[in-house]
Amino acid sequence: MKKVVGTKVKRLDAYEKVTGKAIYGDDINLPKMLHAAVRHADIPAGKILKIDTTKAKNLKGVVSVLLHDDIPTVKKVGPIRRDHNVIVKDSVHFIGDVIAIVAAETLETARKAADLIEIEYEEEQGIFDPREALKPESKLIHPEYKSNLVVHYPLRKGNVEEAFEKAESSDDEIIFERDYKTPYQEHAAIEPEVVIAEPNHQVKGVDVYGSIQNPFTTRKVVSIFTDLKLNQVNIIGSTMGGSFGGKDDIINVMACRAVALSLATNRPVKLAYTREQAMKEGYKRHPYFLNYKLAVNKNGKIKAMKINIVADSGAYSSQSFFVTWRSVVQATGPYEIENVQTDIKAAYTNKPYTAAFRGFGSPQIIFAQESMMDELANELGLTPYEIRKINGFKQGSKTASGQALTEHKVSLMEVIDIALEKADYHNKLKEFEKYNKTSRRFKKGIGFSCSYRGSSLGAEGVDTTSAIVSVQADGSSYIMTGLNENGQGLRTTYAMVVAETLGCTMEDIQFLTSQTANIADGGPTVASRGTIAGGNAVKDACDKIKANIFSVIKETFNVTEMTELVWADNKITNPQTKQEINFADAVQMTLNEGINTSAYGWWKSPDVSWDKETGQGNAYFTYVYGCQVAETQVDTSTGKIDMLNMVAAHDLGRVINRTGAEGQVYGGVAQGIGYGLLENYSVQNGIVKSENFDEYLLPTIKDIPNIDAILVENPDKYGPYGAKSLGEPTLELGAAAINNSVKFALKKKYNANPLTLERVFLGKDLVKKVRQSEVVSKERCEVPNINSKSNSETVPEKTTDRVSDINITVAKTLKEALEIMSNKKHWIISGGTDVIVQLRKEKYHKELLDISQIKELKITNEIDGNIVIGSACTFSSLIDNELIQKHYPLFIDGISLIGSTQIRSRATIGGNLVNAAPCADSVPSLFVYDASVKIESTEGSKIVKLSDFILGSYKNILGENEILTQIIIPIPKDKKYYRYFFKLGRRNALNITRMSIATMMSFDDNNKIDEVYIMPGSVFAKFQRLTNLEEFLVGKEFTTDLIEKVIALLDEKLESEIGGRWSSPYKIPVFKNMLRDALLTILEEK
Amino acid sequence: MNKIKVSFKVNNKDYEIETTPLRRLLDILREDLKLMGTKEGCGEGECGACSVLIDGELSLACITPATQLEGKEILTIEGISDKDGEPSYIQKAFIDKGAVQCGFCTPGFVMATHKYIKDGGSNDETKIKEALSGNFCRCTGYAKIVDGVKEAIVRHNDKEAK
Repeated sequence: MKKVVGTKVKRLDAYEKVTGKAIYGDDINLPKMLHAAVRHADIPAGKILKIDTTKAKNLKGVVSVLLHDDIPTVKKVGPIRRDHNVIVKDSVHFIGDVIAIVAAETLETARKAADLIEIEYEEEQGIFDPREALKPESKLIHPEYKSNLVVHYPLRKGNVEEAFEKAESSDDEIIFERDYKTPYQEHAAIEPEVVIAEPNHQVKGVDVYGSIQNPFTTRKVVSIFTDLKLNQVNIIGSTMGGSFGGKDDIINVMACRAVALSLATNRPVKLAYTREQAMKEGYKRHPYFLNYKLAVNKNGKIKAMKINIVADSGAYSSQSFFVTWRSVVQATGPYEIENVQTDIKAAYTNKPYTAAFRGFGSPQIIFAQESMMDELANELGLTPYEIRKINGFKQGSKTASGQALTEHKVSLMEVIDIALEKADYHNKLKEFEKYNKTSRRFKKGIGFSCSYRGSSLGAEGVDTTSAIVSVQADGSSYIMTGLNENGQGLRTTYAMVVAETLGCTMEDIQFLTSQTANIADGGPTVASRGTIAGGNAVKDACDKIKANIFSVIKETFNVTEMTELVWADNKITNPQTKQEINFADAVQMTLNEGINTSAYGWWKSPDVSWDKETGQGNAYFTYVYGCQVAETQVDTSTGKIDMLNMVAAHDLGRVINRTGAEGQVYGGVAQGIGYGLLENYSVQNGIVKSENFDEYLLPTIKDIPNIDAILVENPDKYGPYGAKSLGEPTLELGAAAINNSVKFALKKKYNANPLTLERVFLGKDLVKKVRQSEVVSKERCEVPNINSKSNSETVPEKTTDRVSDINITVAKTLKEALEIMSNKKHWIISGGTDVIVQLRKEKYHKELLDISQIKELKITNEIDGNIVIGSACTFSSLIDNELIQKHYPLFIDGISLIGSTQIRSRATIGGNLVNAAPCADSVPSLFVYDASVKIESTEGSKIVKLSDFILGSYKNILGENEILTQIIIPIPKDKKYYRYFFKLGRRNALNITRMSIATMMSFDDNNKIDEVYIMPGSVFAKFQRLTNLEEFLVGKEFTTDLIEKVIALLDEKLESEIGGRWSSPYKIPVFKNMLRDALLTILEEK
Repeated sequence: MNKIKVSFKVNNKDYEIETTPLRRLLDILREDLKLMGTKEGCGEGECGACSVLIDGELSLACITPATQLEGKEILTIEGISDKDGEPSYIQKAFIDKGAVQCGFCTPGFVMATHKYIKDGGSNDETKIKEALSGNFCRCTGYAKIVDGVKEAIVRHNDKEAK
């Protein structure tokens, strides 16, 4: 008999996804469809004095421009508190507020029109820290609510004050207190947000398509906003390009805007966001400030825990009510503590608002409480394992909310033991301790974290969901559910529940995309409840169908109980008599009797409870447990952390689809690594600094180590086949485990994530201090130096990412190109990896000259003891070039680390040099090789040293009519050179260079230093070789003493040249380390 | 607004289109040619969702302007299939190994894998990761994508051996 549940099953929707046939929101184009754009605010806080839409309305192709007052119905929405204006009226609460919406015949016109709307503001000082917002004297962000406090959840168990008093007077107990801070995190689903609205004349309402995580929530919000009845709004989800909690509230307000434009124009309207818009307006994970105070017996038993948390709700309340509630329930972590007092408050600020993100209020508290547990263990002379064993939940333990854990298997210690064993944790502690004693530069760490988590919504709200299973006469079936496929694999899981329950095969099951009009409200697809809630509803439907079929076939089998028959492999069998009927025949027999073989499934969660005043109650009906172990290696020279391995053990009740479950673990762990190490959504004085993926760092494939996914099964009585939850727990543990691992490696503790280079190295982040007024004026007006010295053109900020009004001339020959340049200044484009990105983001309107097709500029030759490289050669072509490989290995080292395969295949060496970014990766090694460049114009040509060509950051000597045509590098002497190149970046791929060093040395017959080249990248204002250091070294014997002497020289130079900069507390010591590492590596190799 | 005419091949089919010079290949594919499998994730050459092959080089359609398409041969996800129109061995390996979750990044990963294997890429995990390091995936943690690529290489080698 073939079991389905627990096996590895291919996704139902994999075929259309691998072939590019799946229809995502932006792939939908309806007849006569208009394109919409929004106009975001330009300031984070203030009053809108005037909005002039004249220019926008006059633009050809613009069909509708709507402001706040043009909306005839309800204007504010929100899940609990309706404080979120779909289009703001006269006050701006954050930089992502929408002031106007536009519909036009083309996307480009719509975005251009949005840019043309003129807005006058009276800017006000914003509030950017929720703790500040809670002070009584603080300005009210939403005056109508009379306070900046969004919500406050208290929890009281036992008597904390008494326990602290006792601890203070007792020799056996200590008081232990810690503060932690966690950052914003952006969902960064690779598909940006998109919605399409279309009038539906049949119901006098609207249909809405798009990347919609929770169709029923969207329907409700649109219905409120439009005053249409629920049955006049139909939400039809598209294939989702990832969500992770991110396509809920933002999509709802976007849907309202698209609907408003659609109703105003009586045409379909698509509103698609660029990545920048999504990053700016979309909500994030809440930043938390956490204070934990403990009374602890010296034997390790925690007697009391007092927790104070302030959450940053941003401009709107959104899901803060729910997110912080989960935090208050779980804030102690999986530890049984007699006396607990927790207070969590969420407050408004003038920043991007915060709401649901996979984890939902747990990654923050787990980062704090699990970091703290390791620090506590350290303080008491216990191991991290011992402290958890002493305090961890056991069967029957009582949670902070007074819930006795009796209804499910409490597997905390089980998952910890399994994870630690798989990671070989106890041995590795010793092994790494030993390694760290002898290793100078790199230190290894291992650490873990554990958690418990309530499944599904709990006492947050009504917890129900729906499913329809319809078995056809031939035994094939359809499924529809009230929960949504967001990429997690829910369709496949449900199909497996049907196959297991009815005994039919996966191939005979189709999943139909649900529409809100076709099925009962199934609630939101959140809280890791897809499997436990939806799986139960699907199973309920199947059980009903099965009962109907059984009522007919039991006579044929001559049995009375369902349990006497086995339903599997498309057959129904009596194992006693071996009698069997094909499933399809049984269905036909049932239909012939006039009995239904379709059913509505429904699931309602078991009862839960919560007392708002005391924070006591049975918060969730069941819980899951997890443990993750992180192995790291820290580069103490720079603070860079590399992940060596992750082990993730999760009790999920029961595995339905093993492939899907493993995928959830891997994906969640990767997002946890991002949260722990890389992802820092930066908002300074209300201005979003992380606008796209070049600034918001997602883990690349090279940042994710091997992950051991261990699925622990303790079937739950409430789950379908015992299955509980998995999606969120996989993300919530990583940051804390990594922190504990790094703490072990460095014997230092960190109280905030992500563990950036500066934080690891200095113990704090370095931020360029700027006043809000400066930020605002700079952001809006200053055009960064891009390509040449000239920097005069400024036009208003633009959101138009399509730049059809820019003219490009394509030159076929160099002569032609030079002639064009002599007539009129052009901005040169070759690979486009810089230029096109800048055109999209910045405000240039120039003539471009494309030189990528000029053959003369794409060849590399050996001429008179030099290698001459055409400036339009791509980095890939140079990496593959044998001449370059032979003569300039240091150059290859540098350019191999540029961007990615895709970037290297387009980006050119000429572009890199002309751009003259301080972080340009081709420059340091070319300085070492003493390269020159050839500059040509119709007036002639000249060859200048590269060091004379680059004047400084983004500055070069190129005249308006000149083109850089060649790079000329002398062939080095035929002797042994030792070389070392190191590029420091935060990730392992797609890196923007933080600093780099290129070093090359040779030695004479007496073993003295003959030649030496030391070239820093991204350190000084201007590229320069460290000639004074080089001169100091030449002729000397190469020893460790000498290295320290040269480092001292470097120190002087760094202090005098970059000492005053905001970044120097990091850059100076780290670059010294980088030089030391370079020289020691060469010394060792020698 | 001046327009240019460009001629190029996409998936072995000839096209001549009239468009503005800086129009992105991504928009030409999705809007003019209705080839929707190439996706836009960031629009600035960072995420790899719009990866296609241009004259055999793995390239980003979001930062390739129309002027650079003249005479080029472009391969998109719609052109990746076996001769009989079935999914290619790479696509099948991705399906079989669970390399797909939301699927939005998948076409880009298939293209990067196609390029890697076409260039004789080996089963070495470090090399595979290097080859795919220009593509973001937010769902899978990359583990099963690496499994998919390894499986595809095995199948490719089997096919070559026959």
